Amino acid sequence: MEAATAARPRRRRRAFLEERRFLAPVLIAPACLFIAVLIAGPLLLAVYLSFSDATAGSLTGDWVGFDNYLNAWDNPVFRKALWNTVLFTVASQVIVLIAAGLLAHALIRPFRGKWILRFLILLPWAAPIPLGAVAWLWIYDSLFSVVNWTLVHDILPGGGELLPYKIVNAITPWTIEPFDPPQWLGDPTLALGAVISVHAWRVIPFATVIFLAGLASIPKEVDDAAKVDGATGLKKFWYVTLPLQLPIATVALLFGIVFTAADMTVVYILTRGGPFNSTQMLTTWSYQTGINAGSLGEGAAISLYLLPVLAAVAILMLRFARRSEVS
Amino acid sequence: MTDDRPRVDITKISDELTRRELLRKAATGAIVLVYGGVGARSAVAGVPRFRHKELKETLRILQWSHFVPAFDRWFDNTYVKVWGRKNDTDVIVDHISQAELSARVAAEAAAQSGHDMVATLAPLPQYEDQVIDHKEIVQTVSKKRGKMKPVSHRSTYNPKTKKYFGFADNYAPDPINYRTDFWGEVGLKPTTWDNVLKAAPRLRSMGHPIGIGMSNEIDSNMALMSLMMCFGGFIQTSKHKVALNSKGTRRALTFARELFRRGMSNEIFAWTASSNNVGMTSGRLSLAMNAISITRTAEGQNPDLAKRISLLPIPKGPNGRLGLEHVMHTYMIWKFARNKKGAVKFLADLELTYIGAFENSRFYNFPSFPTTVTNIERRLERDPVALPKGKYKVLKTISDKYTYNVGYPGFTNAAIGEIFDTYLIPQMFAEVARGDKTPADAARDYHRRFETIYAKWRRRGKI
Amino acid sequence: MASTSLREKLGSYLVVGPFAIVLAFPFYWMLWTAFKTDGDLYNVENIPFSFTQGSPTSRNFTFLFTDTQYLDWLENTAFVGAIVVVITLVFSLPAGYALARLSGGWGQSVGVGIFLTYLVPPTLLFLPLSRVISELGLQDKLTSLILVYPSFTVPFSTWLLMGFFKTIPRELEDAARVDGASRLTTLLRVVFPISLPGILTVVIFSFSLVVNEFVYSLTFISTSSEKTISTGVFTELIRGDVFFWQGLMAATLIPSIPLALLYNVFLNRFIAGFTGGAFR
Repeated sequence: MEAATAARPRRRRRAFLEERRFLAPVLIAPACLFIAVLIAGPLLLAVYLSFSDATAGSLTGDWVGFDNYLNAWDNPVFRKALWNTVLFTVASQVIVLIAAGLLAHALIRPFRGKWILRFLILLPWAAPIPLGAVAWLWIYDSLFSVVNWTLVHDILPGGGELLPYKIVNAITPWTIEPFDPPQWLGDPTLALGAVISVHAWRVIPFATVIFLAGLASIPKEVDDAAKVDGATGLKKFWYVTLPLQLPIATVALLFGIVFTAADMTVVYILTRGGPFNSTQMLTTWSYQTGINAGSLGEGAAISLYLLPVLAAVAILMLRFARRSEVS
Repeated sequence: MTDDRPRVDITKISDELTRRELLRKAATGAIVLVYGGVGARSAVAGVPRFRHKELKETLRILQWSHFVPAFDRWFDNTYVKVWGRKNDTDVIVDHISQAELSARVAAEAAAQSGHDMVATLAPLPQYEDQVIDHKEIVQTVSKKRGKMKPVSHRSTYNPKTKKYFGFADNYAPDPINYRTDFWGEVGLKPTTWDNVLKAAPRLRSMGHPIGIGMSNEIDSNMALMSLMMCFGGFIQTSKHKVALNSKGTRRALTFARELFRRGMSNEIFAWTASSNNVGMTSGRLSLAMNAISITRTAEGQNPDLAKRISLLPIPKGPNGRLGLEHVMHTYMIWKFARNKKGAVKFLADLELTYIGAFENSRFYNFPSFPTTVTNIERRLERDPVALPKGKYKVLKTISDKYTYNVGYPGFTNAAIGEIFDTYLIPQMFAEVARGDKTPADAARDYHRRFETIYAKWRRRGKI
Repeated sequence: MASTSLREKLGSYLVVGPFAIVLAFPFYWMLWTAFKTDGDLYNVENIPFSFTQGSPTSRNFTFLFTDTQYLDWLENTAFVGAIVVVITLVFSLPAGYALARLSGGWGQSVGVGIFLTYLVPPTLLFLPLSRVISELGLQDKLTSLILVYPSFTVPFSTWLLMGFFKTIPRELEDAARVDGASRLTTLLRVVFPISLPGILTVVIFSFSLVVNEFVYSLTFISTSSEKTISTGVFTELIRGDVFFWQGLMAATLIPSIPLALLYNVFLNRFIAGFTGGAFR
C-alpha cells in the first residue's frame, strides 16, 4: 500500500500523457502541421487558379467561376481522360491484387532459390519510374519492339521451329501479321493495354511487399492458435489470414489506386496521351492543357476533378480499414 | 480466463527486438551521417559556385541539350567563358531536356524566379506578359547586319501588342531526307508530292515505307503543317482569322490518307520525335522530313548508309513548295530577370558573331540574321564529313526560299502556340488517315475547335 | 519451424516462377541492350539477344561516369532519400499509432484529412510550390526536395503504419499495461518492436517514393550537379530527337539492381525476425 501511495504523484504527472485525449493529438500534430503548412497553401492556390483564367505560369487571373469546370466537361477528350483514369486504375489494380496476393502467400514459406526469385520480383519497383517507362518505350518501340521480335521469330533453339505469333493466332481471336506487327503504342486499343501493363508491372512488387509484411506481422501465436483450433488451408485463409490482412490489404490497394490514378509519368513517357488522345488520363490532360497549351486555370480545374473521386474512394476504404480492429 | 493459447512474454520480446532495432537505427544513423557530410553543405549552401573574384555580374541561361553534344561543350566551356571575361560576367549555363522544358518554364513563371533567360525550341507566345520586349536586341543587330529574316520575325513578333516576345537567334531548315538507292530503283525523285504518292506503294512493298509521322510530337507537327500548306491549307489568314476549313486542307487530308494507305505503316501513330531518326538510320524508311540530325547521326553510326541518304527541299504540291522551320530557337528574357542588360547584350553579341555557333552545331543552327555568317554556301559545301560531298548546300536554298513560320501567312501567336503545343494538326490527320473521320468532317470539326481557341486568346488581347 | 511440404514448395515455384520471369524480363532486355554498339542495336536484322558487330561494349556504362555527372546524381538521390526517410519516420510513427489506437471521432477526420492531401497530384501542386520554394530561397538546392518530399511520404507512411498497428492484437498492449507499463513505455518497448516489419516497409517505400519522384525535382532544380537520377539522365541522354537508348538502359540498371538487392535484404531481415526467438 505504501508503494501505491508513493507512486501516486508520479502517476499524476504521467496521467497527462496517459489520457487518450492528450496523447493522440500530441502524436498526430507534427504530421498534420507539416502537411498543412506545405500542402494546404499550394492546394488552396490551385483551387483558386481553377476558378480563374490564369495562363502561362502566372499565378493570378480573373475570376471566371465554374467556367473552367464546365468547359472541361464539354470536351470529349476530357471525358475520355476521365474514363481512362478509371479504366487504367481498376484494370491494373485488379491485376496487382491477384498477383500480389498469390505472390505473398507463395513467398512466405521458405524454399530454395526464394531469395533470387524475390529479387527479380522486386526489380520493377526499384527502377525509378521515369527511367523504367523509357525502357518500356523501347520495349514497345514502333520498329524495334522486342515483344514483336519475340512474337514473329523462332524462339526454339536448335532445329525445331516455335513461332509464338502462330500460337497467338491460333488460340486468340486476334491475328498477328508477321510483316506488320502490332503497334503497341500506336493503336488506340493496344496502347491502353500497354499503359495498363506498365502500371501493373511497377505496382505488383510494391503490393507484394506490403502483403508480405502484413502476413509476417501476424504473430506466430495466432497462427499456432489457428492450427490448434483445427483451421488449416482454405479455412485458415478465410477465417484467420484474410481478416488479419484486411487492414493492410486495403491500405495497399488504396495506395496502388492513388499511384496509378494520380500518376502522370507512365502515360506521358509512353504515349504522351496519344494516339490522338486515346490514352489521356486526367493528370496528363491537365498537364497538356495547363502547361503545354498555357491555359493554367483550365488545367487546374481538370486536375481537381480527380480529387472528389479519389477522396470518395479513399474515405470509404479508410473507414473500412479503421473499423477492422484485431482482437 | 483459461485458454490454451501460449502466453506471450513481453519482456523477452522487447529485449530481443530492441537489440535488433538498435542495430537498425545505428545503421540508418551511420548512413545519414556519411551522406550528411557529403551533401549537407551543398544542400544548405547551394552549389559551391566558384565565383571569380574579379567578375562583377552573373548571367544565368537555361537551354536544351543540343543533339550535337559538341555544341554544348563549345557553348558552355568556350563561348560563354570568353564572353564572360570580356563583359565582367559569370555566365552559368544549365541544360534541360526538350520534353521537360515547358514544365520548367511554367514553374519559373509561377515562382517569378529562376534563370535570366530561357531558350526554347519553339517560341512561346503565351508567356508574352512575363517577358521583356526584345526589340532592343533586334535593333542592335539590325543596325550592323541588316534585317532579320521574315521567318524569324514573324515567329517572335506580336503585331497587336507590337512586342517581340522572344529573340530567335537561330532556326533549323527542314529538308526531305530520302534514300537515293531505293528511289533510284523506283525511278523517281521526291520532288513533288505526286511523285511521293506514286512511289509509295512500291517502296512499301520493298519493305521501306514512307515515314511521315501522325503522332503527338514535333516532327509530325512540322511535316503535316507543311504538307497542308503545299496543298493550300492554312490554319489562319494573314489577319489571324481561322482558315482551316478550306478546299486546300481537305485536299491535304485526302492526300495524306491515300499516302498512309498506300505507302506507310501503322507505326507512324506511335512515333516519338526520335522515331523517324531511328527509322532512317536503321535503314528501314525511304523518306522522312527532319532536320539534319538524321544525316549527322548516320555519318557517325553508319557512313555507308549516310552516303545513300540525300536531302531535298519539301516536295511541291498544288500550292507550290511551302515548308516550315524545323526548330525556331527562341530566347526569352524574364521580366523578373536580375541581369536584363547582360542578357540583352549577350544575345546581341551571340547573333553578331554567329559563325561559331553555326559551325559548332554542324549547320543545324541557321542564323536569323543571315549576314552574320559569311559565305554560308561555301561553308556548307566544304563540310568535310558530308557524304557525298556538298550534300548540305541545298540547306541554303531551303532556308532562303522554302522556309516559312508556323502560322504563315500570319504571325506565330498564342493561339497557334496552343494548337502547336497540343498537337491538334497531327491528331486531325491521324483521325482521317485511320478512317475515323472524313476529310470534310475533320476540317470542319477542327476549324470549330480552333475558333474557340482563337476566341479565348483574342479575349485576352493577344491577337 | 515446421518444414513445408513438397506440395507447398511446388506450389510456390509454380506461382513465383512465372511472375519473376515476367516482371524481370524488361531488365534482362535492358542488360542486353546496354552492352550493344550502335551498329548492332539499330539493325532490324539482328537478334536482340545476341551480340554482333562490335558488341559487347562497356562504353555505354563508362560514358555515364566520364561524360556526365551521373555519380553526382546518384549521390544526390541517395542523400535526399536517406534524410527524407528519417524525417518520415519521425512524423509518421507517432501519428500512425495515434490513428490506430488512440483517437476517436475527430481523429478519424484528421487522419482522413491528412490522407486527402496525398490525392492531389504533384502535377497540380508543382506550380504553387515552386513559388513557395523560390520565396524560401531554396531554388536549385537539394533542401527544397528534402522539404517537400515528406509531404507525400508522410501521409503514405502514416496510413501504412496505422494498418500495421491494427494487425497487432490489443492483448499484447493490454498485457503490458496490466504489468504496469505506461502508454508511452508500451509504445516504445512493445508496439514499435513488434511492428518492425511495418517500419522497415515504410523505410523501403519512402526511399523508393523519393527515387521515383520526378516532377518536383525537375521544377525545383536545374543545376546539373544538383539533379537527381531521373532528371539528370533525361537531360543528358535525350537530346532533342536523339535518344541514346543504350545509355538510357545502362542508367536505369545501375540504380535498380543495388536498390532491389537492398530492398531484398531488408525484407529478409524482418521476415526472419519472426521465425524464432521471443515467440516460443
